[in-house]
Amino acid sequence: MFRNALGKTLRFLGYTVQYGCIAHCAFEYLGGIVVCSGPSMEPTIQSSDIVFSENLSRHFYSIRKGDIVIVKSPTDPKSNICKRVIGLEGDKVCTSNPSDFLKTHSFVPKGHVWLEGDNLRNSTDSRCYGPVPYGLIRGRICFKAEQTSSRVCSEIICLNIHLSK
Amino acid sequence: MFRNALGKTLRFLGYTVQYGCIAHCAFEYLGGIVVCSGPSMEPTIQSSDIVFSENLSRHFYSIRKGDIVIVKSPTDPKSNICKRVIGLEGDKVCTSNPSDFLKTHSFVPKGHVWLEGDNLRNSTDSRCYGPVPYGLIRGRICFKIWPLNDFGFLRASPNGHRFLDD
Repeated sequence: MFRNALGKTLRFLGYTVQYGCIAHCAFEYLGGIVVCSGPSMEPTIQSSDIVFSENLSRHFYSIRKGDIVIVKSPTDPKSNICKRVIGLEGDKVCTSNPSDFLKTHSFVPKGHVWLEGDNLRNSTDSRCYGPVPYGLIRGRICFKAEQTSSRVCSEIICLNIHLSK
Repeated sequence: MFRNALGKTLRFLGYTVQYGCIAHCAFEYLGGIVVCSGPSMEPTIQSSDIVFSENLSRHFYSIRKGDIVIVKSPTDPKSNICKRVIGLEGDKVCTSNPSDFLKTHSFVPKGHVWLEGDNLRNSTDSRCYGPVPYGLIRGRICFKIWPLNDFGFLRASPNGHRFLDD
């Protein structure tokens, strides 16, 4: 009786570990649903928006300028941030605020990217903590689920809006 | 005949994906064998040494000063580097070379670590590319497996003077 229960528990644990690993790898290498919070990507992504993030691009090093990416925060490794890639390694980026009289520029170092939120007035990004190593990028956001009133609509809007800078 | 072969191929692929995922998660969350190359960690780790790296510490945020860690390179995301943690966030580190007359210091920013190789004369590390975000750490080296005459836990840093105590 006891051996039966123990056997069942171990089999259950075995299946849990097995499917947990497969789910983890599916998220790591394919993609998954992400809920964003915060005002730094308005109006493109509002707080509590549900987006789909694909994680293949970062493994194939095909992240492009203008992509919205999910990145492990350089100041807090326990959290993730969601910003737009403004410059890749070697690109020239403007490091001064739009309100400054004198514009300063710098080049993005090798292996790094320059991130900025779409809501420039309310976003802590590379203008604050500098260029971010490419290795911290977790995925690229490609779709947003459009919400109408209280029901999540089945329409999906493609997020390839490129801001001219 | 064809359906039989197709069924077998799909089953084989299914098992491969299944065990590949389990192996990947085992390495990601538990640990694995790593072959080091390069002179930057001599004499503690020589080139072509085989070490065991445990990957639990970084998930539990229990990396300590003095640990040898494997980190995704901040200058080349396709490769990994192996250095010693000299300072954690908030620690004071010496940013000048030992041969400099004037010593310069700085504090490690939040969410970052300061890495240096044990072979200070032949190591590109944080003295070159600055503090490294904690999120790039992949694992902590705890044990050397090969060569057998050096089997066991890794020695403490030969550069104790680089660890500044407040």
